[in-house]
Amino acid sequence: MKLLSKSLVTLGVMATLGGLSVAVAADVGSTPSITPKAMADALHLVMDSDRAVYTKKIVNRLVKKEKVIKASEHFEDDKALVLPAQMFRFGSELAAKRAADMPDVNFNYSLQSMWPVNKQNAPKTEAEKAGLKFVAENKGENYYAEETLGGKKYFTAIYADTAVAPVCVSCHNDHKDSPKRDFKLGDVMGGVVIRIPL
Amino acid sequence: MAAVVVLFAAATAGAGSLPYVEFSDEHLYFGRIVWLGTCENCHGYGVADAPIPMKPNEWRHRVSKQREILYDHAINGFFGPDDSYMPERGGNTALSDAEVKAAVDYMVELAKFYIDETGEEK
Repeated sequence: MKLLSKSLVTLGVMATLGGLSVAVAADVGSTPSITPKAMADALHLVMDSDRAVYTKKIVNRLVKKEKVIKASEHFEDDKALVLPAQMFRFGSELAAKRAADMPDVNFNYSLQSMWPVNKQNAPKTEAEKAGLKFVAENKGENYYAEETLGGKKYFTAIYADTAVAPVCVSCHNDHKDSPKRDFKLGDVMGGVVIRIPL
Repeated sequence: MAAVVVLFAAATAGAGSLPYVEFSDEHLYFGRIVWLGTCENCHGYGVADAPIPMKPNEWRHRVSKQREILYDHAINGFFGPDDSYMPERGGNTALSDAEVKAAVDYMVELAKFYIDETGEEK
């Protein structure tokens, strides 16, 4: 039994807000029981669901429906809720920080855009550039690719990031640093990039 | 039911790249233009839980509602039971009441088309 438990490796990836987890168990040295695409899709499902719940149950309810608080990019100064996109970004930053202490957890995700308010969120690799263009031009579809970075091979998945609320549109269209100011509700504004080492 | 004159319109729907039906009625023709310009961006793909008219299960209970209720939701905004949010005028505040109503009328007829003619999810 001890031997068996030693032969199992469990990679636990804790998602952000809801505390849900996606686990991959595999015999050491054998084929993993989940494909990189399925893993990326599962991760994105959790991320997207958490973000949708935050948008609906927190932002929509408290800001739009109950009108008890505002949501603002400058949430500290304004004593306001963080925007849904900020919640997502903070989660990705925290996950990266926590994953740094977990040698078996080696993945990352980020929110990027061809029209970033902050230039550091622009695509850098060829796969990121191609993927963000693809999801913007093919609404409802995802982009998957393999890329080699620094001599390491990665599976990269890109999912559309869509303007789901008026505040997404107004924030980007009105922002002084935004390179695009004609977004409409429902437009693809960027993409969630999930990268898993192969 | 409004007559269908063109099945293969220029725009395509998100769910399986279906064409958006075009009706001969002038009011619905106008409504389709408004719908494509604003509403389709969410209702064509289910963005933020927007019900997709090509999916009969999402619209059967809606087409039976009083049209005035649908107009009110579209013009003034609406919160769904799980706090999903339909912004007023679909987020396009430049639209007039008449334009929003025409778009609603088109979307209802589009939904009815898929309910009546196909009766199944697309």
